[in-house]
Parts: sequence; C-alpha cells; structure tokens
Amino acid sequence: MLAGSCLCGGVRYEITGALTGALSCHCSMCRKAHGAAFRSRAGVRTSDFRWREGEELVTWYETSAGTHRGFCRVCGTKLLSRFDFDPNWYGLPLGALDDDPGVKPRRHVFVAYKAPWFEISDGLPRHQELPG
Amino acid sequence: MIRGSCLCGEVRFEISGALSDASHCHCSMCRKAHGAAFGTYAAANAADFRVVSGANRIARYRSSAGIVRTFCARCGSSLHGFDESKPEVVDVPLGVLDDDPGVRPDRHIFVGSKAPWYEITDRLPQHAEYPPRGD
Repeated sequence: MLAGSCLCGGVRYEITGALTGALSCHCSMCRKAHGAAFRSRAGVRTSDFRWREGEELVTWYETSAGTHRGFCRVCGTKLLSRFDFDPNWYGLPLGALDDDPGVKPRRHVFVAYKAPWFEISDGLPRHQELPG
Repeated sequence: MIRGSCLCGEVRFEISGALSDASHCHCSMCRKAHGAAFGTYAAANAADFRVVSGANRIARYRSSAGIVRTFCARCGSSLHGFDESKPEVVDVPLGVLDDDPGVRPDRHIFVGSKAPWYEITDRLPQHAEYPPRGD
C-alpha cells in the first residue's frame, strides 16, 4: 500500500499494486504544469488507485486531447493524470507520494525539450522524444 | 525581459531585470506542491515582476507562516511565491518561464528532505536545510 496526499492535506489517495515505467519527462507541458525542471511519473492501474479523501477538490485540466491533469484546487499540488484513450492506467506524479514507491525513474524522455537551465547528470538513458 | 506563463496560457507575467539566487529545493512542501522531485526557484525584485494577464486566475495557498505559493486555478501550473515578511522579493519557479532565466541553479537546499526515489548526481553544493547566501 502506498499513500499520497496534497500539500494542504485535503486530498488523499492510496495505491495497491505496483507502479510501473517510472521516468522523468522533460516536455514543455510537463515543465509548465509542474513549474519544475521535469516531471517524474509512473504508471498505476486505475483498479489499484483509490481516492481516500477530497476527490471533490481535484480540478482537471485537459492539456492535450484526451489527457487530463488533476490538481488540488486549494493548494495546487499536481496529483494525477487520466487518459480518455486508456481507461486502465493513470499517470502518477511521484512528488505527491507520502511513501517510498520502491521504484525510481529509469529514463529521461523528451529531452529535446529540456529546460536550458537544467543539466541531466545521471547515467540513465535519454530519449529525444517518447520511444515506443 | 524574462517572460513566464502557465500551461493554459491564461496567466502571463514578465520580469524586467535579472533573476538571482537560483536553487533546487528538495523540501517536502516543494515536492508536494510541484508534484515533482524538487522545485527550482530564483529570486526577482518585486518591483521588476509584473503579471501581464490572468491575475484573476491566480490562486494563493499559504503553505507555512508567511509563505504564499500561487498557481493557476484553471490548469494548476505552479506560479510565483513570496514571503510576506520580504515583500521586496518574488520567488519564481523556473519551470514556467518561457525565456532562458539567465541564472543557473547553483545549489541544492533541504536535501535532508529529499525524495527517496531521486538521486542528486551533479556536483552542486548540497545543504541539509536552508543556509543563508554567503555560507
């Protein structure tokens, strides 16, 4: 069981089951949405994810066709992405987890769009875009 | 002029003058608010910072005493922050800038609170908490 929550504590979720495919995304949408150097995320099965508190506080914004990013409307914490074209998986930003997910990002994607002020210094694979 | 905007484009701001004191912050509040491994902020003079559009979309959250974080109420992008006891400074998250900020982060702060799933692999100085500039 993994727990996650927003900064104000109004929204809480829990995850049973494994996170998969952890990566760090440097695309401009992720950088904008998070206001950060990059977004680190993993996949979680929708059947393994449950809102425990505050689901009504989650505001969804459709950032590209069929992709919705959810954040807490009180504190702005970036919480979850859902996809109209794939109802079986959510995209989970790792930053809102309260527990150690036991996985680490294994690659960088969309590095062609990387922020000019951030240098990737680890040895993980780097992909110019999103490999298949 | 350095421009910034949120993901949906409703909130736009600009900074005349230089940014300074850029740091990667690994505190739990930055990780939560950004939903990211760390936040990266630089300081702007408040007199140089101007919201150009979308001011009515800017939501505020006071994450600790006197510390206000803002974000776009429509798309959720993290925007500027400030310390109410230092009204002359605006903290700008570099991730929402449209232009090169000029400055580069030169340290990691609050690494004592770092995410267990992120390893710092660069050679910048690491501080367990928040050291004053000049240390």
